[in-house]
Amino acid sequence: MKRLAAIAALASIVTATACGSTGQENAGQGGIYTTIDGSKQINASAPINPFNPVGSVFDGYNGMALAWPKNDPIDPNQFYPAIARSWTITPDQSEAVIHLQPNARWSDGKPVTSEDVRVSIGLAYTQGGTAYALDPKAAGAAATIQVVDPTTIRITQGANKSNTFLSNLLSTVVVPAHVYGSLLPRDFWHTLKVAQDGKGAPAERAKTEVTGLADKVIAFAPSHDVSAGPFVLERVNPGAALLRRNPYFYDNKLIGPDKVELLNYSGNQQIWNYLIAGKLDNAPFTSVPSAVLDRIRSVRGNKVIKGFSPVSTSLAFNQARKPYDNVHVRRALAYLIDRAQVTKIASPEGGTPSLTTSGIHAEAAKVWLGSQFEGLDPYRLDPAKAAAELKAAGMTKRGNTWALPDGRPWKVEIHVPASFSDWISAAKSITSQLNDHGIDATVVTAADYTLYLSELAAGKYDVGFWLMGLGPSPYNIFQRLYGQANGWQMFGGRLEHVAPGTEGNWMGGPETVTVSGTKVDPGALTSRLNFAPPAEQKQIVGTLAKVSNEQLPVIQLWDYVNTQFVNTSRYTGFPPDDNEALRLSSGVWMQLGMIKKRQA
Amino acid sequence: MTVTVMPDMATGTSRATLRRNFWRGVWRVLCRKPSRMAGVIIVLGFAVMGVIGPLVYPANLPRDDNALYASPSLQHPFGTDFEGTDVLALVVTGARYVLLTGLATALITVALGTLIGLFAGFRRGGWDSALMRLTDLNLAIPGLPLLLVLSTVWKFTSPLEMGLVLGLLGWGGVARAVRSQTLSLRERGFIEAARGLGLPTRHIIGRELLPSMAPYIAMNMLIAVTGAVYAQVGLFFLGVLPFDANNWGVMLNLAVFSGGALTTPSALPYLLAPLLAILLLTLGIVLIVDAMDEIFNPRLREE
Repeated sequence: MKRLAAIAALASIVTATACGSTGQENAGQGGIYTTIDGSKQINASAPINPFNPVGSVFDGYNGMALAWPKNDPIDPNQFYPAIARSWTITPDQSEAVIHLQPNARWSDGKPVTSEDVRVSIGLAYTQGGTAYALDPKAAGAAATIQVVDPTTIRITQGANKSNTFLSNLLSTVVVPAHVYGSLLPRDFWHTLKVAQDGKGAPAERAKTEVTGLADKVIAFAPSHDVSAGPFVLERVNPGAALLRRNPYFYDNKLIGPDKVELLNYSGNQQIWNYLIAGKLDNAPFTSVPSAVLDRIRSVRGNKVIKGFSPVSTSLAFNQARKPYDNVHVRRALAYLIDRAQVTKIASPEGGTPSLTTSGIHAEAAKVWLGSQFEGLDPYRLDPAKAAAELKAAGMTKRGNTWALPDGRPWKVEIHVPASFSDWISAAKSITSQLNDHGIDATVVTAADYTLYLSELAAGKYDVGFWLMGLGPSPYNIFQRLYGQANGWQMFGGRLEHVAPGTEGNWMGGPETVTVSGTKVDPGALTSRLNFAPPAEQKQIVGTLAKVSNEQLPVIQLWDYVNTQFVNTSRYTGFPPDDNEALRLSSGVWMQLGMIKKRQA
Repeated sequence: MTVTVMPDMATGTSRATLRRNFWRGVWRVLCRKPSRMAGVIIVLGFAVMGVIGPLVYPANLPRDDNALYASPSLQHPFGTDFEGTDVLALVVTGARYVLLTGLATALITVALGTLIGLFAGFRRGGWDSALMRLTDLNLAIPGLPLLLVLSTVWKFTSPLEMGLVLGLLGWGGVARAVRSQTLSLRERGFIEAARGLGLPTRHIIGRELLPSMAPYIAMNMLIAVTGAVYAQVGLFFLGVLPFDANNWGVMLNLAVFSGGALTTPSALPYLLAPLLAILLLTLGIVLIVDAMDEIFNPRLREE
């Protein structure tokens, strides 16, 4: 009997550990802060490696970057200090000098030095990326990395300058050289130099050698976590990851909780249930229906924080396909879609209906465009204008249904990935509205997002949902409309426009358009945003907003609102609405001295 | 006195009598238990729903923008969906796809399974071995994963396409069972007699073996309908098949993932309506199968 009781007790401990929790923990006065990582799910078998997309390294907790980006609507170079205490950049953005936190230490007690940053940059080169592109002509690529002293490092930008150089540089993830250094061959920096500055076959060989290290870096599995962040990974199981305080963290006095538990989740529904159970001290942006939001709000201590999120959802057209090559058709559809209704159905809590199509989130657009924003056509619901536009496009009405100019039936197929329930609801609402106005429209789903993107890029869809306005960098914002997806690509440092249906050009828009009597190349203007001075940037953004508003390569539907949940019954000091740190993890909030244990 | 019997007339009369007696028997069996009659009414109700349901409602179902996820009322017995559309209307108009898929699946499953099972069991030898290995192969195919993969390249917009795939995946069990029955029946006296009389194989299979297995095949056909309903609703629920707002699986998906029906009660009627429809359809079929068992198996008849 005793044996049975012992087995039962053991089994209950094992079960508790295996079911979504790391079990009973002995935390000090700071307690255990419970949250989720909004960027990835927990994978217990993944290595403790930030270069691995599913690795058990969590931003702001045991994963550290040089600095953390602020949620500024227009300036991509606004950052909070992290491993980098401060930084300077020359006015022409050619050289950045980064000063590290003098007291920064790894969780094994060793100091964080410039050499750690140098090795981290070397590893980043193996993965590629904007600041660490091997092509010397790539905009914003770092050219030289020089260790000035143990806490100072100087990095220069290549000849093809980009305004996002500093931003990309400061986003560099920092790993310990004494753990990851062995991944870089002895002659790595020489090979990198040849890859960047060499010519012909040796340069190509060197590039292959550097990028060939990518898989090795991703697969690297350190035996234990060595973190420079406020926490270090204690253990991870399929249900949760538990992190304990790093006693060597440079600003340890600011950190409230003793431990952090990151719960795993399989979907939004599980996050809702955690919130309703009052388990989470914070849940990052999660899409919620209104009724669920009300239920979450009713739980003791739960509160909602809202702020700016530089993302919008749009309905994008493949202009290589008829009748969407005709701007009148696109405008007609814009006049027939009630965006307020679509947002009410699809994203009542996480979005606001777009005021118009400008290519930019409304909040950022108001700052960029000022009074010009009011001058854009708002495309309010107007069936009469839509009918006039359709007639202008040569469309004909047979009975109650619109047909193509040649008399064939016009069937609008709106494509969405099946896993995005808000997009599905929105697409259904749009088709219902179009059907009301005599346009035969249906929703077609793709099995998953990866398949959706590949079919979209292959030009298989006429009309599909598309994320846009990915700020704050204006270059990144308009890249979504006048970048690779619409035919503009950099080849050897030169911008070229490829034919629709090739090289991922699925939007199929024209290379030049006439706006207010002036011929403009929107792709070239977008590319200039990368290095233009602020005054010129403002002018270009104004032109591109007008192009987007008149030409409608997409119909902007709603602008996202960052909706987060916090529970103040255990911790206080959460960022208020519209705080610049709102889109960063709770770990970063702690680094900024925000989260404190509630006093009884 | 001699009586001349017209053979054709006699056969005709006896067949008509048999048929009449059969249907009288069916009626008696159905009346014996009210649940069986309820089963017939339910299935007939769904059949009517599938045939005339979409004709009763307009092609574009009306929406009430101010009544999203409305509670059940006289106007909306099962409330409304995310767009303010009557959930009952969605269930009724969505029945056609579900039933047609079920019917197509059942026909293909039973036709293929019976044909292969009968042929293998009757011929035995090499044919039997070859056909049974083919059946093993069919049984070994993991249906759901295959359908998930297929859905990435095939959109299954028509219920017949869906039914064809489900039917082609599902005939293995029927074939194996029919073969076993055939192996048992072919050794019986009446088959031996038919062979002894030199009757052709087609006659023996079609007129002697098949009628003996008809009840079993018919029951399998009805059960295949329920299997097909579960399979397709499951695939739509997983979101791997094309979106159609009135598809029962899509309704379940949206109620759970978009409406939070498992978290809050507001979207619960939207979830329960298609579930209730599936439950009722299954119940109706099971009750009819119960009746069929007694109709075709004289030993079960309670006189």
